[in-house]
Amino acid sequence: MTDVAADTRPAEADPARTERMVLTGLLALPALFLTVLSLVPLLLLLQLSVAHHDEGGLWRPSLELTQYAKLLNPQFLKVAAFSISLAIGTAIVSVAIAFPAAYFISRMKRRAQVAWLVFLLSTLSLSEVLIVFSFQVLLSGAGAMVKTLMALGLMSSAHSLYPSFGAVQACLIYVVLPYIILFLYPAVSQLDDDIPAAASTMGASPVWTFLTVTTPIVRGPLLSAGLLVVIWTVGTYLTPLVLGRPQNWTIGVQISNAAMTTGDLPLAAAQAVALVCAMVGLLGLTRWLSGQKDAQA
Amino acid sequence: MTLISTLLRRGFLALVALFIAAPLIVVIGVSFNATRRMSFPPTQLSLKWYKAFFTDAEWVSSLQTSLTISALAASLAVLIALPIAYAVWRYQSRIAQALAGAGSGLFLLPGVVTALMFSAFWGVVGHVGRVENVVLSHAVILLGVPIAMLSVGFQSIDRALIEAAQTMGARDSEAFNMVVRPAMAPYILCALVYVFVLSLNEYLIAYMVAGFNVQTLPIRIFASMRSGYQPTMCVGAVLFIALGFSAFSFLAWIGDLPKLMGRHRPLEN
Repeated sequence: MTDVAADTRPAEADPARTERMVLTGLLALPALFLTVLSLVPLLLLLQLSVAHHDEGGLWRPSLELTQYAKLLNPQFLKVAAFSISLAIGTAIVSVAIAFPAAYFISRMKRRAQVAWLVFLLSTLSLSEVLIVFSFQVLLSGAGAMVKTLMALGLMSSAHSLYPSFGAVQACLIYVVLPYIILFLYPAVSQLDDDIPAAASTMGASPVWTFLTVTTPIVRGPLLSAGLLVVIWTVGTYLTPLVLGRPQNWTIGVQISNAAMTTGDLPLAAAQAVALVCAMVGLLGLTRWLSGQKDAQA
Repeated sequence: MTLISTLLRRGFLALVALFIAAPLIVVIGVSFNATRRMSFPPTQLSLKWYKAFFTDAEWVSSLQTSLTISALAASLAVLIALPIAYAVWRYQSRIAQALAGAGSGLFLLPGVVTALMFSAFWGVVGHVGRVENVVLSHAVILLGVPIAMLSVGFQSIDRALIEAAQTMGARDSEAFNMVVRPAMAPYILCALVYVFVLSLNEYLIAYMVAGFNVQTLPIRIFASMRSGYQPTMCVGAVLFIALGFSAFSFLAWIGDLPKLMGRHRPLEN
């Protein structure tokens, strides 16, 4: 009995040591998992981007910048600029739709809110592969969209609405919309209803109040949402491939083709690293922009 | 004024709902359509594509592959995320915070970049075209989701409750069982379902780490795009939608879905 008491005392006497042991036990496996499956692949990507490409899909370790030099060709820069502008366009439109939608949903009665959440979450079960397929069906010459436009007199002769830039853009907005509504939901549900109410008693219109009072409060989440959309869509592959013309193909199509078709892994890796650098730059810019606005306020 | 804004609000939400529902309606419609032509709305209803799906060994095996990969990836991701989120909350551990950051980091990279990363990784490891590649890659890439959800869950626990349990003489482990476990159960379930659904529908990473060797349902559909669509592929999608709908409805039934999705402010009925 005394032995047991003697054994437990030091552990109780030194809580810091116990805590360290508990933490080691908790975190050893996650740390190993993340090192092997996250850090190693990331370092490999960096190594690959400076490797030497041999013919036939082979590569050997090296320290050369030939792949990065290839990125400077105007063709690639054009694709990169197009991808980033497509992603930013998707971000602006999807956040502009998702923000008021999330706001209205968060103001509903519980049952309606739960129904909307289940609906939004269920749509995540539709793979992008099938979303693209549905858009093909909807936008085809005999599809529902063309019929509606003809009935409204907005279209004179039936023809397929894809491949086109508009089809790519609409499909990308569709893919991200439920995610962004769900992403913004916590932030907008926290908003206080008293402030807009006060503004409207002073005679401000609801839309004006929403834009000038409500929006600035959730500026941070809105910017983060936009950034997420840019990151998710800048490397999009399937949508532009199926619904777009070759000039609508993105950097995602380029990277996958370099890796899977041409077998030029070092070039694909260099393109991927450049893309990540661009995203980090954008992240910095967004941080700086929201910081600037905070400083003004 | 109020009437107009109510109408505008309802009209806007109806349009958003229609936009979001449209592809679901198309997929469901095509799966019940009697003809092979991809027309919408369907001309005549039929269950023949369902019969074709379940009598075709390849479609059924794709369905099984998809479900297995997603179940394993979801379990693994939640198992890894749970100790990290717990250590951040309970001990404010710096290492755990760093791991949480690293774990969320991959989710914040463009999908094509992570796909390339893992395709190169498994190539160098010399382990190409295997199911476990997809499971491990999905688990680590989607790790940000359970980390975020479980952190929200831990933050929703009232620390005063734990202190109360401890002042009443409960040990750490007892307080854990009384307070932490029941509070976290719905968040864990929610994270599992969420990762499951995301993994179920992911095709680019699965394709780039396993090629056409591991035929998940999205990859089979992706492959069939080259040879022309068959209505059969919509059957699998309808099953997935039904599965997602049931799982999230179940969550809403057993738990407080608005709270699980991050709402802090209480919501009256």
